[in-house]
Amino acid sequence: MAADRLAPAQASRVTVEVNGTTYEREVESRRLLIHLLRDDLDLTGSHVGCDTGNCGACSVILDGTLVKSCMLLAVQVDGSSIETVEGLAEGELSPLQQAFSDHHALQCGYCTPGMLMSATALLRENPTPSDDEIANAIQGNICRCTGYWNIVKAVKAASGQEVGE
Amino acid sequence: MSETTVSPERTVVEEPTREQWSGQNVPRKEDKRLVQGEGVFFDDVKRHNMGYVHFVRSPYAHAKIRSVDVSAALDFPGVYGTLTGDEVATLTDPFFQISSPPGAHLKDYCLAVGKVRFVGEPVAAVVAETREGARDAAELIEVDYEPLPAINDARRALDDDAPVLHDDAGTNLTWEGVFDWGDVDGAFAEADRVVKISELHFNRFNSTPLECNGALVEYNRGTGQWTLITNNQFPGFAAIMMGPAMRVGLDKLRFVTQDIGGGFGNKITSHPQLVACCLLARKLNRAVQWTEWRTDFHTSMSHGNERWFVDTEVAVKNDGTMLGFRTTALDDAGAWLRYEPLGGIIWAQVTPGMYRWRNIQLDFKQVVTNKAPVSPNRGYSRMQHLWFTERVIDIVASELELDPVEVRKRNYIKADEMPYETPNGCIYDSGDYAKMLDVALDLIGYEELDSRRADAEKRGKLLGLGIGSTLDSGTNNFGQSRLINADLQFSGNNEVATVKLDLFGEIVVTLGTTPQGQSHETTAAQVVADILGCSLDDVNVRAGHDSYWNSHAGFSGTYASQFAVTGLGAVKGATEELAGQMRKLAAVVLGATPDDIELAEGQARLKGNPEAALPFMALGAIINANNAGLPEDLDVTLNCRYVYRPPFEVPDVERKYGNLTLTYAAQVHAAVVEIDPETGVYEIVDYAAVDDCGKRINPQIVEGQVMGATAQALGAATHETFPYDEEGNLLTPNFYDYHVPHALDMPPLKTGYIESESPFTSLGTKGMGEGGGAGIHAVCAALQDALRSNGKPIVYDSFNPYERVWEMLREPEASRERVTVEST
Amino acid sequence: MLLREVGYARPRTTDEALGLLAEYEGARPLAGGQTLINVMKARAAAPDVLVDLNGIAELKGVELGSDGTLEIGPMTTTSELIAAQEARARPILGEVCSQIADLQVRNRGTVGGNICASDPTNHLPPVMVAIGARMTIAGPSGERTVPADEFFLGVYMTAVGPGELLTKVTVPPGRSDGFSSVAVGKDGTCIANAAASANGGLRVVLGCVAAVPEVIRPDGTDAEAVRSAVRAAELTPPGDVHGSSEYRRALAEVVAARATAQATERVGG
Repeated sequence: MAADRLAPAQASRVTVEVNGTTYEREVESRRLLIHLLRDDLDLTGSHVGCDTGNCGACSVILDGTLVKSCMLLAVQVDGSSIETVEGLAEGELSPLQQAFSDHHALQCGYCTPGMLMSATALLRENPTPSDDEIANAIQGNICRCTGYWNIVKAVKAASGQEVGE
Repeated sequence: MSETTVSPERTVVEEPTREQWSGQNVPRKEDKRLVQGEGVFFDDVKRHNMGYVHFVRSPYAHAKIRSVDVSAALDFPGVYGTLTGDEVATLTDPFFQISSPPGAHLKDYCLAVGKVRFVGEPVAAVVAETREGARDAAELIEVDYEPLPAINDARRALDDDAPVLHDDAGTNLTWEGVFDWGDVDGAFAEADRVVKISELHFNRFNSTPLECNGALVEYNRGTGQWTLITNNQFPGFAAIMMGPAMRVGLDKLRFVTQDIGGGFGNKITSHPQLVACCLLARKLNRAVQWTEWRTDFHTSMSHGNERWFVDTEVAVKNDGTMLGFRTTALDDAGAWLRYEPLGGIIWAQVTPGMYRWRNIQLDFKQVVTNKAPVSPNRGYSRMQHLWFTERVIDIVASELELDPVEVRKRNYIKADEMPYETPNGCIYDSGDYAKMLDVALDLIGYEELDSRRADAEKRGKLLGLGIGSTLDSGTNNFGQSRLINADLQFSGNNEVATVKLDLFGEIVVTLGTTPQGQSHETTAAQVVADILGCSLDDVNVRAGHDSYWNSHAGFSGTYASQFAVTGLGAVKGATEELAGQMRKLAAVVLGATPDDIELAEGQARLKGNPEAALPFMALGAIINANNAGLPEDLDVTLNCRYVYRPPFEVPDVERKYGNLTLTYAAQVHAAVVEIDPETGVYEIVDYAAVDDCGKRINPQIVEGQVMGATAQALGAATHETFPYDEEGNLLTPNFYDYHVPHALDMPPLKTGYIESESPFTSLGTKGMGEGGGAGIHAVCAALQDALRSNGKPIVYDSFNPYERVWEMLREPEASRERVTVEST
Repeated sequence: MLLREVGYARPRTTDEALGLLAEYEGARPLAGGQTLINVMKARAAAPDVLVDLNGIAELKGVELGSDGTLEIGPMTTTSELIAAQEARARPILGEVCSQIADLQVRNRGTVGGNICASDPTNHLPPVMVAIGARMTIAGPSGERTVPADEFFLGVYMTAVGPGELLTKVTVPPGRSDGFSSVAVGKDGTCIANAAASANGGLRVVLGCVAAVPEVIRPDGTDAEAVRSAVRAAELTPPGDVHGSSEYRRALAEVVAARATAQATERVGG
């Protein structure tokens, strides 16, 4: 749990675990979590696609919960544990990542990290989701290239269910 | 959620001699890095001590700039420096204007000079140590404006009292072209009926790629060269714009791109901001980083052309044969002409749409208004025109009480008429539109339409079916620019590829393109592997674009639905040259003639005696490291650079006649909508998309493009819009208000394909990807069909949010006022 | 996109939070951040200090009393409310929360935040008024409870004054509720919405048409009675890019009737 901060501070030390590695950084309180990840920790897999928290390209899993990292301050995650796209493959691509490739669920790849995190969160909670449940799970992730059809198919395939051709 | 039905139809049949990579759904080379978040997009790159740029932007739609005071910003901690319009006006020359006068007289700089002309226009720039610091410092820059009246409706731009945006032009009508082909008067004399439509409107929106524009720019003082790590998708164009403005040679601008998060044409006109970054990098002697935020993108970059079709008259026979039309196209270019007025001719690639009418008159007027400047947007300028022809077909069919399917079939250009020369000399290479329509109707369950309509009615819904047919013309002949401005010296097109066989047998491919998801690494590898007879893993295609590779030419980039023709044409050319050289060298080594040598399984070997073989590595080693004793006249380098040049002539400027594009992919879509009559809310309940792009190198990738274009078109039809208020503020400046489709918005989708190979391309492929907005055309038609029983309103706008449908339900007569039918 | 400098504090208790709000005049509470962070990104507001409520355990949780009354901690996220067994005492809550935006927003966005934002297009304000919720507010002068129909005072304004915090939302039991909306795309921003409650007498509440939820009192439960009551209210809804005033007025009749039908269908069920 985060250290308590009872006196307002403009900047402070943040300790956060990301994909199993612990980092410590001095950050301004106004710094968004996505910028901590991308600019301070060089974890550039999570992306910025908007400035109003609508696109989901910045989605990460925070203490087990899917969130948009542009809608959190870095200081808010002091003491927390974060999973990003960089942590999904362990030597080789995860079945989910492989399914995305098999089913052409990415074109430019910009929304893909966020999509993968949303799909990861879904499959943990619901190992055999329906098409509608998958669409609902990625409703917070905008894609402009694929039209979502292949993404839904890929997630379904990754869950081990039959998918049409 | 989607199903694919493949209906292969090859008009040119080739028997493959061995298994071919082309035509297969091979895994994408791009995926491995992208699914691991290891893509490199410009904002992922960092340089030590780089400064972050923030642009100060105009809050006024139209205003004089009285003064710009950066002194407080310069004193702010962490600020490295600033740039103002006054500096820019001395350091650079105005950007080259494509237009003839009066558009030619626009003085466009990278920052506003003297005046601002749209809300969001960059006025000054500040560079600071941190992103947040640059943003803070920007608030300290004081700009004194004198607001002027603004114009935000193109239909008012030519009123006597309309404020003029550019004194240098003296008018808001920056370009006009009158096009007249065939015998329009004769067509109207022959017509049984004349259908008049007072006004149709194609709405303003764009493709909002998820990654916005941006760059990391470094300046090398010693060589005077800039390196731009950026996502500009047409470096050839950017360089032509930037070099002369910055008074430097084009080789001083090195463009480096790797991964780009979508482009769709909206990353072609970032050159003003890139110039600003270059000037700052040089001035401040440090790398400068610019990230365009979503709001910046929406308010200032790359809107799609908004176009009215005014006073349209259609000559038609009673049986629905379309004889011709006249119309005035009023195009709103926004405040600056950056790629415009090319939109004023590019529509002419598809003058008759998919139809056989020969008599066409179009007066194209392009005006400037106090809105964001337009730029190419997926389907650029053809989409607007094709939407128009589809609306005409549908509206005329409706007024004459004819079946829109029958009217299309009656008027479609026929397969046996291909290659077909249009009234203005463009050549449609191949295609079978009627067959595509049949496939679409089959996929959508056309036979069951009546029972579906009845079922919907029981549930209180109005059901409609609509067809949207469209063309995806690809590979421009830039000679068409001369039909905009006869003094321009552009023509033809090109793309480059270099393929080499390296020392250890690696095959390395370098492209001139700048892909933003179109899978160039993969399809290029398929073509190379087929020619060289090796595996896909043997072929290494470098990711992205780098001017230093010297594997690009004047038109290099990724735009205009052409890679399968130009890019792959270059790859094929380079690889065939390489293959020829490999056979020549192997022949020397094996004591045979080149014709005796075949390339297969990663080896060069004697036909009929496969034991006598040299692995590629051996060939690479000889040329690179062990070349003593080779015949003096052996012309083998194993490093082949090929410039693909499509077969074009310079068009006839007088008659505005000539072939403007090499290939014509086509799509026919069918949409079924259900409208809730109480609210105007509608749902797309079924959808089919049929595509023909000639030979498909990778069908899965083609399907991905069809799907993406469909999704964007559906968004443009239902929710996506860039409206302005009275003061010239954009009302949808970010994703909070600008609603793009999300996963739950997508209808069930069926896709189908036929392959009509192009006789004009080296691989039989046609460029594809843009998609021509078929989804917009189909939804408009479906809505009109659904509303038919409610007073026959006509759908007159490409954009139909729920409220417009509700209006058409309440007052069908209002839209009907736009249409009259006269018997002659 | 980039925030102004701000001080950040993360108290452990409600009292500590109130103390910080009292001590720093430009301080604002930070709940789920799904509204406030956006506002700060746009620099439309720039609090001097953010008092993060996410560490205050006593503001979370959903408790079901023996009389079926629900006590909802305002820092309960909408996802948590959807998942809470207790919340099934008033099913409309979970149903409506499921329509809010997307999963990421629901995972951080809070019940209290959605209510206190008092954005006319939000989902929970009309629901709270329809079901007769009561809001408990704590401040320097102690604690008080305000019924929902006195809680919303204007756009972005509620009975929670400067230096105060919403500490509890109390919801009576009931199952005969309905909700209907027309949104921009699925689960998008509401253009019009309405909540209805038919637990002993009909209450219909419109969102999106005025600065605060508008209570409608039809004299019957049939569609025409509801629509006529909406017309009688002579609404002047705002017009914006998503809908004109006239359109919202027309939609209001439809969503009110549909919400009512849903609520009355559930009576006795």
